[in-house]
Amino acid sequence: MNSHLNEDDLVLHYYGELDGNASARAQQHLGICADCRRSHTRLQRVMAAVDAMPDPVLPDGYERIVWARLRPDLSSPSGGWRAWLSFSPARLAWMAAILVLVSGAFFAGRMTKPQTAATQVVSSDQVREQVLLAALGEHLDRSQTMLIDLVTADGDGMVDVSTERDRATDLVAANRLYRQSAAASGEAGVTELLDQLEELLVELAASPDKLSSEEIDSVRKRIDSNGLLFKVRVLSSTVRERQKQQIRTRTGQSS
Amino acid sequence: MPQTDAAAVALARDGDSEAFHSLVERHSRAVYRLAYRMTGSPQDAEDVVQETFLRAYKQLGRFESRANFGTWLHRIAVNCSIDLIRSRPHREAALDLPDLEQFGATTERTDTSGATPERLMLSTEVQERIGTAMSGLSSMERAAFMLRHFEGHSIEEISQSLGLKTNATKHSIFRAVRKMRVALEPFVADA
Repeated sequence: MNSHLNEDDLVLHYYGELDGNASARAQQHLGICADCRRSHTRLQRVMAAVDAMPDPVLPDGYERIVWARLRPDLSSPSGGWRAWLSFSPARLAWMAAILVLVSGAFFAGRMTKPQTAATQVVSSDQVREQVLLAALGEHLDRSQTMLIDLVTADGDGMVDVSTERDRATDLVAANRLYRQSAAASGEAGVTELLDQLEELLVELAASPDKLSSEEIDSVRKRIDSNGLLFKVRVLSSTVRERQKQQIRTRTGQSS
Repeated sequence: MPQTDAAAVALARDGDSEAFHSLVERHSRAVYRLAYRMTGSPQDAEDVVQETFLRAYKQLGRFESRANFGTWLHRIAVNCSIDLIRSRPHREAALDLPDLEQFGATTERTDTSGATPERLMLSTEVQERIGTAMSGLSSMERAAFMLRHFEGHSIEEISQSLGLKTNATKHSIFRAVRKMRVALEPFVADA
């Protein structure tokens, strides 16, 4: 090969992606052309620098956090009410679509007007929405109870948080799915809230049976500074209101 | 706690969750590193870690005990990362080369006459440059480049994995390398 090697040729040669003849010609050319040889050397140095890319820094106890997130999914029965929470692109897709309806009402502050008896049709989408609203409402209520117990935890010295830890472990997997659904549907506010909640749930799930009063104070401050309890309360209230409205719509009652 | 991965897998297959826990303890960091390199996002990397171990758990029955568990897990993690990347809409804005060229041109060239290649590689500024260059890649460019450069997959394999034509894969890799060169060549000593 007497013609010079362009940048793309050099990349293919570097990665051994040129076929036998082309590779031999490229190697031969590099032996006789100082300019191409310099370009090749610069490419090698750039790639060597990329090889030295630092690894991401992970916190101590990262493995515990991964296990805390994972364990509930591993212990879920194959059937029953928790089965539909298992990771499935199809399930996430319709959960994301349904969650848009919930969060749309949350952000717009609007609820759809009840339909008249003459126009009522209970579609399968509405049934799915009702199921999801019930599950999401329950999740938020349980999260709220856990947060309240943490905020009001009392004790000198070491405080037993094993009950809250077990609750947090149960809540982590479901929260993650709701967060992913909210993110997929572009609901930034709901995603952010569930993200904050998940951080707390994961840490709690990985905590020992007892925390010192300083550690409890630190958790309380985090809950307070994010306004987490208030936000969960508001979202829970919105979901419940949406459920009630659905029931009213179905039964033909006015709001 | 089981001594080896093979022993832990055998126990986990029989329903011993603590045995699987030991596998998670041993491999979660490596899976995260791979997932982060592929996706470029801590949040996405976390989701990939989760999905990787879930799939591994469900597929334990298919794992051949003579094989290396870490390698097997690694392949699952690559597939999970690719699935996540493919599920994204292809609208994200990658940094154009002119942006990166401007970034490269306005930075004074560091005097590298006395620096060994090893010192250059480790310098903080180089690492920041690499980070910036990586963040300027689209998710497809990043995935194609990571699979080629770090995972050693051929262009044909990458094309199949990412659902791209061969030329599109090549051009993704070419663009990624070009961006790396623009960002890093000012720091690379001439031969």
